Amino acid sequence: KHNLCFYWSLCVTVKTVLKIYMFSAATIIKLCRKVDVFSIITKLDVYPGLMVTAGLIHYILNLLHVTVHIRDVCVFLAPVFSGLTAISTYLLTRELWNQGAGLLAACFIAIVPGYISRSVAGSFDNEGIAIFALQFTYYLWVKSVKTGSVFWTIGCCLSYFYMVSAWGGYVFIINLIPLHVFALLLMQRYSRRVYIAYSTFYIVGLILSMQVPFVGFQPIRTSEHMAAAGVFALLQAYAFLQYLKDRLTRQEFQTLFFLGISLAACIVFLTVIYLTYTGRAHKLQPVCVFLLSRLHSYAKIHIPIIASVSEHQPTTWVSFFFDLHILVCTFPAGLWFCIKNINDERVFVALYAISAVYFAGVMVRLMLTLTPVVCMLSAVAFSSVFEHYMGDDTKREKPPEKAEEGLGPNIKSIVTMLMLMLLMMFAVHCTWVTSNAYSSPSVVLASYNHDGTRNILDDFREAYYWLRQNTDEHARVMSWWDYGYQIAGMANRTTLVDNNTWNNSHIALVGKAMSSNESAAYEIMRSLDVDYVLIIFGGVIGYSGDDINKFLWMVRIAEGEHPKDIRESDYFTPQGEFRVDKAGSPTLLNCLMYKMSYYRFGEITPPGFDRTRNAEIGNKDIKFKHLEEAFTSEHWLVRIYKVKRLENREALDHKLRSVVSRQKYTSKKVSVFPLRRDGFSCSLSFMMLSTTYSCDPHTHLR
Amino acid sequence: MTRRSAFVAVCLLFVAALSSEVSADGLVNEDVKRTVDLSTHLAKITAEIVLSNHGQSSVQSFILAVDADLAPHMAYIGASVKGDEEEHGTLELQQTSIQGQRGEFYKVLLPSTLAAGAQLKVKTEMMFSHVLKPFPTQITQAERQLVVFQGNHYLYSPYPTRSQTTRVRLASKTVESYTKLGNPSKTDEIIEYGPFRDVAPFSEDALKIHYENNTPFLTITSITRTIEVSHWGNIAVEETIDLRHTGAILKGPFSRYDYQRQSDSGISSVKSFKTILPASAQDVYYRDEIGNISTSHLQVLDDSVEVEVRPRFPLFGGWKTHYIIGYNLPSYEYLYTLGEQYALKMRLVDHVYDDQVIDYMTVKIILPEGAKNIHVDTPYKIDRMPNQLHYTYLDTFGRPVLVATKNNLVEQHIQDFVVHYTFNKILMLQEPLLVVGAFYILFFTVIIYVRLDFAITKDPAAEVRMKVASITEQVLTLVNRRLGLYRHMDEVVNRYKQSRDTGALNSGRKTLEADHRTLTSEISSLQARLKTEGSDLAEKVGEIQKLDGQVKELVCRSCSEAERLVGGKVKKETYIESEKSLTGRRQELISRIDSLLDAL
Repeated sequence: KHNLCFYWSLCVTVKTVLKIYMFSAATIIKLCRKVDVFSIITKLDVYPGLMVTAGLIHYILNLLHVTVHIRDVCVFLAPVFSGLTAISTYLLTRELWNQGAGLLAACFIAIVPGYISRSVAGSFDNEGIAIFALQFTYYLWVKSVKTGSVFWTIGCCLSYFYMVSAWGGYVFIINLIPLHVFALLLMQRYSRRVYIAYSTFYIVGLILSMQVPFVGFQPIRTSEHMAAAGVFALLQAYAFLQYLKDRLTRQEFQTLFFLGISLAACIVFLTVIYLTYTGRAHKLQPVCVFLLSRLHSYAKIHIPIIASVSEHQPTTWVSFFFDLHILVCTFPAGLWFCIKNINDERVFVALYAISAVYFAGVMVRLMLTLTPVVCMLSAVAFSSVFEHYMGDDTKREKPPEKAEEGLGPNIKSIVTMLMLMLLMMFAVHCTWVTSNAYSSPSVVLASYNHDGTRNILDDFREAYYWLRQNTDEHARVMSWWDYGYQIAGMANRTTLVDNNTWNNSHIALVGKAMSSNESAAYEIMRSLDVDYVLIIFGGVIGYSGDDINKFLWMVRIAEGEHPKDIRESDYFTPQGEFRVDKAGSPTLLNCLMYKMSYYRFGEITPPGFDRTRNAEIGNKDIKFKHLEEAFTSEHWLVRIYKVKRLENREALDHKLRSVVSRQKYTSKKVSVFPLRRDGFSCSLSFMMLSTTYSCDPHTHLR
Repeated sequence: MTRRSAFVAVCLLFVAALSSEVSADGLVNEDVKRTVDLSTHLAKITAEIVLSNHGQSSVQSFILAVDADLAPHMAYIGASVKGDEEEHGTLELQQTSIQGQRGEFYKVLLPSTLAAGAQLKVKTEMMFSHVLKPFPTQITQAERQLVVFQGNHYLYSPYPTRSQTTRVRLASKTVESYTKLGNPSKTDEIIEYGPFRDVAPFSEDALKIHYENNTPFLTITSITRTIEVSHWGNIAVEETIDLRHTGAILKGPFSRYDYQRQSDSGISSVKSFKTILPASAQDVYYRDEIGNISTSHLQVLDDSVEVEVRPRFPLFGGWKTHYIIGYNLPSYEYLYTLGEQYALKMRLVDHVYDDQVIDYMTVKIILPEGAKNIHVDTPYKIDRMPNQLHYTYLDTFGRPVLVATKNNLVEQHIQDFVVHYTFNKILMLQEPLLVVGAFYILFFTVIIYVRLDFAITKDPAAEVRMKVASITEQVLTLVNRRLGLYRHMDEVVNRYKQSRDTGALNSGRKTLEADHRTLTSEISSLQARLKTEGSDLAEKVGEIQKLDGQVKELVCRSCSEAERLVGGKVKKETYIESEKSLTGRRQELISRIDSLLDAL
């Protein structure tokens, strides 16, 4: 109990800290449209690493009277950490191959678009620091496997701890390292160094990771972490057998081995029976199931909300090329070099590469874990090629040319030129992608006139700032969850759902409100105590990422929780099309989202022509009963509606006062507003309660 | 003379005291032309008064009265003498009170005494904020804004008035109603009252005008103006402004469609306004909590910089916004210095928009770290707060911050203040030295870390390697010196061949012998040390020694050959031949030694 309380309070503090930093960083925070998958799966709320890092840097700088604003710290955190990532990539590649490859790898990761997308200034994101932690942990792990020194392993554990505190992707480490150990065992590469490294890492790493409040006891409970435990046990058994092998004769050892195996089988069998009997079998989910393949299927089947995020779609070849360019072609060569000259640490990088490729294929977002290893292996490939073809110049004093007899200077220069050309094109591509795709903030849209002057569409901030300045401080805003963080950060208002909401039914309720007709939606909104509804509408300027285009996902998510009230098929035409014009389904044309998007849109010229969907809208005569337009931004991109309060019911009030006894009256009044959270109505009901309590003894006294 | 003047002064003082006590006596407002300007959201009441002294004695001051209802809203009051030539002397005002009368009273000190029977033309100016009350208080987007002004038909004065007129200037032709005292005439935006004859002192008669006024009812509810002075040539000014539309509150929905399509929709709303900054303002920024506000334009004019400030959204009645505007100024225009004395002369409050109203202002002046003996001269009375300390980059003991506040300011308050302080110029070096010191410490630490061995365990192999390296270094220098000896000997021999001085040759040979012996012994001792360290380099050094012995021999032989040549014991040809072979062998040996040295 006490522990729980402690963790809860920690959570609350960290959450407040998060709020503060989100608020501070909000100026440049990008439009982030994702749910943290890992926090959904592991039912977590937030990882403190990012905020703690930024806060610590800010604190230290201010201690030295370098009075940097926390916002600036947040903005520049990602670039600084990407610098550290380059350094740790260099170190890791140096351990794997040589210094030259290390330098190349550092150069690659410095400019590769796949990583720049997360490390541009202003992307205050978990991933920004997590990739550094990932690379550095791997470097220390390779170092500790190489040396078998507890010193390096402890370093590795600390780095792992940092990773755990920063990003849910730490499960990648805690599965890859055991996999490495397991592969080493299978390849007969067991050594005392591996034993020391893994035993220390597992124990210390486990204890440290459990100190992170949002991870808690998961490392010993959930199946994501079971692989590590299993490999740990296996390694102990293997080491024990090795020990016995030295002490016993062959005959004795064999008997003991079989005895041990059968005993172990018995124990496992009994445990499974016991757990099934006590109904705890689900805690022992099969270990060998690959983590993210589970995630993959889990996401696809159970959570439409994850499937609805574009970052969680399977990666296309185009995006591989877009994010990695030439590296995607050369990295298999590097992998081949590594496998050809295999040793302990190259086993690791091979496993890293294979698993990362698999994950990146599952969803676009995990491209991020693939990028570092691609850089490393491509660097290995390029470095080997250069070493081979530019060899003469570097090895001046070693004249004997053994294998390179046949290489003429022409071939050498041609190959070198070709490789340099490739690298040059890579650099050009990276610059282009970075400037075009990853450099512009997505809250501010820009369009260009015919004469080349830039037109800035600042509608998002216009509307958010209006909310911030001209609504009640405690106003609650209902919007689709994509805009949750933005509303919290820029408008400083409470939202019903945001980017970190893992309560699916809550999101579904918002989806239901959006996809119901006005009166049904009003009931939901009143029960959720909504003051304002915010939607994004791109029909005037042709912005395609608006709510109507996302609307089917809202319907699907709502249908998942409320299959009786919402059916996806109702929103399609009989031909199975999603249309907003006259041919569209009547359910769609009268649902709240449609009405809010197109309110008074029929009056503009050309009459009601939606530029995003290239159609003239079907319902031009939209009237609201319970809502009122509160604000629409300059280009109609953001529309905010105010939810009207209930109209007065004087007669009812009068009747109640004269007929119903006082006790009942108050209890009824209280139950009218059971879901209210705002100060006013709470204090109202509380006042009523207290008056009844103070009144009752009074009457008794009389 | 002095006694007499003192007497006159005492008399005058007495007379002044007397006249203030019996203030109403004597002075009469001969002719008053009053203008009530209601064309903006401010009420600007000016009056041209012809004041005449009907009393027996001359007066030095007169009393200016403010209506009781308007007095709490008064932002500014001023009076000036209007001479025959257009010279306006602003007069000094002191607040006083008159018993038994409502309102506020100010004693205006005249520049020269007004003798009995004399006349004086005075112009007074009063500014009132928030006296135009929107009525109705809530309007929809399509409606126009109507306001009510309540004032006085007469000049509120402690003196009787002979004749006066009141002219009211409105913002538009549309007037709902106005009081009709004395059958006023109305043409377009102007209503003329009067003339009224022989008005008694302190007479009041309610003036009420209800008219349409769509001028921007903008109010700065609070402004914080921060001026940060740097002695490195820059003054940074930043203003944090809270703005509110204090006109009739918007009722019902805000429709963007109507606002965009119909020109008269939301006519009382504020879309943008102009802020005038000093001409030397640079690096102007305009932003709020969520970043740069992209809807602004900057125009650099000859005598000013104009910023067209457009809030993120149009301001309707009751809506508010908040923004920050800041810029840099070169300090040579505002900071004056004489030795260690400094004076900063700047505007206490600057222009934000035309006809501005500031409800609450805070001024913060951040002086450089180490500024002392600070004192401030302000053009009008402001409330000083206790000084604060401000820490920014590289500060150690903080910069002094002067803080002052004032309520209810208008355009007339845009005036200069002066801050005097002393500053020791040596302190300018403090921050650069701090940086230099920090880097010095950093590099020093790195040097220490690199040079010293902090390992807690000894690494014998590395130690031996280092020792061997140092010994080989010594061997190298010694061997090179020994080779140098031979070259020197060659020179000696050559000189001998020309001069035929046997003594010089012998002494040269002797020094060679001696030096060579010491060097060789030193090298062999080093060789022995190498051997004890267990390095295989010892053998190489031994080889060098052996080769060197041969070189030495060759040198000696060439020396003796030369002797024989000089002695005439050999022919020149044979000598040259033998010399050639000797030098050839020597070259070979020396190159072998060199290769060995390289391998060391």
